[in-house]
Amino acid sequence: MPELAQMKVGIISCSGEELPEGTVSRLAALKVLEELRPGETVTICLPLFLAGGEGDRAFAKFYPTIAIDGCDKRCAYRATEKYSNTPAAGIVVSNLIKEQGLQEPTGCRRLDQNGLALVDVIAEQAAEKVDALLGKPWSRRQGQFIPSADAPEEKPEPIQATCSCGSGIPIQKLLVDDQEMTFVALPLIFQEFIDNGKSPTEATLEELMSAVRLYNPIAPQLEAATTAAIDEAYRSFWNNERGQNG
Amino acid sequence: MMAIKKVVIVPCSGVGKPFGTITREAAYQVTEDDRPEDTRIIPLSLLVLGDEEAQAALVGAEVISIDGCALICATKMVQESGGKVSRSFNSMEIYRANRDLKPKGIAELNEAGLELANKLAKQVDQTVDELTGKAEENA
Repeated sequence: MPELAQMKVGIISCSGEELPEGTVSRLAALKVLEELRPGETVTICLPLFLAGGEGDRAFAKFYPTIAIDGCDKRCAYRATEKYSNTPAAGIVVSNLIKEQGLQEPTGCRRLDQNGLALVDVIAEQAAEKVDALLGKPWSRRQGQFIPSADAPEEKPEPIQATCSCGSGIPIQKLLVDDQEMTFVALPLIFQEFIDNGKSPTEATLEELMSAVRLYNPIAPQLEAATTAAIDEAYRSFWNNERGQNG
Repeated sequence: MMAIKKVVIVPCSGVGKPFGTITREAAYQVTEDDRPEDTRIIPLSLLVLGDEEAQAALVGAEVISIDGCALICATKMVQESGGKVSRSFNSMEIYRANRDLKPKGIAELNEAGLELANKLAKQVDQTVDELTGKAEENA
């Protein structure tokens, strides 16, 4: 069964509009994403855990995440924990201000100099956490870190289709019993099987279905139709890959 | 006499596209510059968490949601939190009506993005006036 390799760290910001600290959290998250660690981080809009689909709710299981919150209500951390998975790390702007005796920011819409300085401090701290998290192997199956003795060898992984918010979780839609269904991580699972030279056989299909079920709940009444759809999709994927690679 | 609740503005908290920032900027313009007496912002993150105080602020209030993409998180979250959306806006619609203004930047909007936010805010202002019965006063 494949253990899909970790590739990025998820950054989730509270973005709270009512407090300057919310703006700090948002701008710090963006600074990490756009400037400090652009190749190593992805994000998702917090409300998508409720308003989005399964792919969105899988985000924090798929990536170890850092929640950046403005105040001790910790909306980003707690909502991520409630709807997706426990974040791997959290930063609370207001706590950091107290702990380090920093100047409080003002201006929700346009931060003052204190706020801008805080953005830098928070972003640097988040970037350090990104580096630390990337140094540990993450299990997308379990949504937690793998003890170092059991860690698989790291493999490079291509970035594929992203969900609508740009979170970077690859999904694939298949017709199952005439209904379109979204399968989280399916392109990665297929790629992992291809990389391991697993041709589309009965045994491979059984193994594939076990991997698919880890990320996608399948209703018992749709089990047969889903298996058939996955079988067909993998055969097509296999043939395309074989065709491209001679 | 019962106090009249302020019109609640709930913008999208999108961090992945300029269209999210446009909703945020428009919401600030309405609540801080244009109609501060009649409006207030409720952060979407509080509604996502199920914060009771934020949910209570929606009850019986006129609510305007401002979304930044087709997933309309702000509108959905207001409804799921027990609020009634009086009017919903989407920054993508403002862009469709002003395609010469191409927004760029998430942390900081470019001029075109700010202009779109301003146009969006003016539409929200008008709706606030209608909801508060001040349309003639502010015309």
